[in-house]
Amino acid sequence: MAEAILQRIAQGDQDAVQAALKTYGGLVWSLAKRMLRNQEDAEDAVQEIFLDIWKNAGRFDSSQSSETTFVAMIARRRLIDRLRFNQRRISADSLEDVLAEPADRSDQNIQTVVEAKEAFKALDVLRPEQKQVLQMSIIHGLSHQEIADATGMPLGTVKTHARRGLIQARQYLGIGSPDSQKEVAV
Amino acid sequence: MSIEREEARLDLLVKQAIYGLTEEESRELKQLDLQGGSNFDGQAFELTAAALSIASLEKVEPMPQHLEARILLDADRFFAERASSAAKTATTSGAERRPASEETGGWSLWNYFPWAVAAAACVALAVNVMTDDPNPTVVQQQVQPQVEQKLTPAQERDRLLASARDVIKASWAPGNVKEIDQIGGEVVWSDEKQTGYMTFKGLPANDASKETYQLWIFEENQGDKTPIDGGVFDVNENGEVVVPINAKLKAKNPALFAITIEKPGGVVVSKREKIAAAAKIEAPKTSA
Repeated sequence: MAEAILQRIAQGDQDAVQAALKTYGGLVWSLAKRMLRNQEDAEDAVQEIFLDIWKNAGRFDSSQSSETTFVAMIARRRLIDRLRFNQRRISADSLEDVLAEPADRSDQNIQTVVEAKEAFKALDVLRPEQKQVLQMSIIHGLSHQEIADATGMPLGTVKTHARRGLIQARQYLGIGSPDSQKEVAV
Repeated sequence: MSIEREEARLDLLVKQAIYGLTEEESRELKQLDLQGGSNFDGQAFELTAAALSIASLEKVEPMPQHLEARILLDADRFFAERASSAAKTATTSGAERRPASEETGGWSLWNYFPWAVAAAACVALAVNVMTDDPNPTVVQQQVQPQVEQKLTPAQERDRLLASARDVIKASWAPGNVKEIDQIGGEVVWSDEKQTGYMTFKGLPANDASKETYQLWIFEENQGDKTPIDGGVFDVNENGEVVVPINAKLKAKNPALFAITIEKPGGVVVSKREKIAAAAKIEAPKTSA
C-alpha cells in the first residue's frame, strides 16, 4: 500500500525501495524533466532526489499531506535548488499544454492520478487571477515581476494573489498541520 | 509575532514554496521562526505548491531503466551505510549502558545472551580458520556482541560455502591496469542461492570520490556484450577484503567475472577501459 512506503523506508526496510521507485519513479522523473528540460540534468537530479527521499522518509507526517505530495515536495526542493544554481527557469511547452487537464492518465500510477485530479480541482476553485498567477509562477517559473509585466497587474497584487491562492489551495487540499488551519489575515 | 513580521514571514514562505530562497532569505526566515507565535506552518505552502505542480503534469513518463538501476545502487549504499552507523551506535550505546544496567540491579539470563552468541561465533571462526584454510582471506572477523545477528561478509561467505551445493569458484587474475599487476583471492557463486562473494588480496584502495570498482558477470550462454551488473564496491584499505556480490539480474551459469574501474556510482554499460581483475570459471560446477 502506497501510504506505508516512506514509513517502511524510514524503518530501514530496503524492500520498500522497489515499491517507492514503482510508485513515485514516474512522478519524480516527470517533474524533473518538466522543470529542467535536459535529460542528463534530470537524471542526475532524480538520483539526488531519491537519496533525499531515503534520508527524509522519517519526516513524513500523514496528518499533513499524502505521501505523493511529500515526495513531490522533496523533488521540487531539489529541482528548485538546481535551477537556482544554474540560474535557469522552469519551462513548459506552452501555456495551453500546461493548463489543459490531462484527458487520459490510464497508464499512470493511480495515486498520482488521484492527486493530480484533486490538485486540478483545487486550482479550479480559485479566483481566475489567483489561478493564473499560481500557474505562471509554479509551473512556468515566472517571477512576480514578470507576471506583473505580462498581465498588467500591479506587483503587489500579483504577490497577494499568489499568497491567497496558495492559502486557499492548501485549505482545499487539507494540507498542513491542524495549527496551520487557523485563519490568517492576508 | 507582530503583524509586520507575520507579513514578512508569509512573503518568505510563499517565495520559498514557489521559487526557493537565497541563503540570506533562509536566515531571515529562520530568525522569524525562532520568534514563534506564527499561525502558519511553513512547510504547508511547499506541500501545496508541490501538489499543484503534480496537476501540471500532462503525462507521467516511466523512469528510464538505467536510471532506476543507478538509484538502486545508491539505495544499496545508503542502507548499508545507515546499517553500519546504526551498528556503531549500538556498540557505543551498549558500552555506555552497561554500567547503568549494573546499577539498576543485577543481570538476567538475557544479559549473557549476546556474549554467549559472540563466544560461539569466535569458537566457530577459530575452528574454521584452523581446519579449513591456512591462509584465510577473511579479514572482517570482529564480532560485535550488540549486533550478533548481523554476519560479516566473510561469515556470510563461509555460510554460503557450507550450505550451497552448487558453488563455483574462480581465482582472480590481473586485468589491463598496469598498476594492478598482482592480485589474489577468488570469487564464489551459487546459482541456486543467487549469492556470491569476492575475496581480494592486493586490490588497491580507490578514491571513492573519483572512481569505484564494479563487478560484471558474464553468463555462459549470453554474449559478452551483455554482462550482468554485479554491483559497485570500494576498497578502503590495501590488503584482504571480502565483498558480497550484488547482481542486478538473475545470473545463471556464470563463465567469467570481471572487475572494471568506473566513475562513482558505477555505469550501466562499461567501456571496459580499465579492467582491474578477471576470474574465469575453468571447470564445470563442483560441490563446495
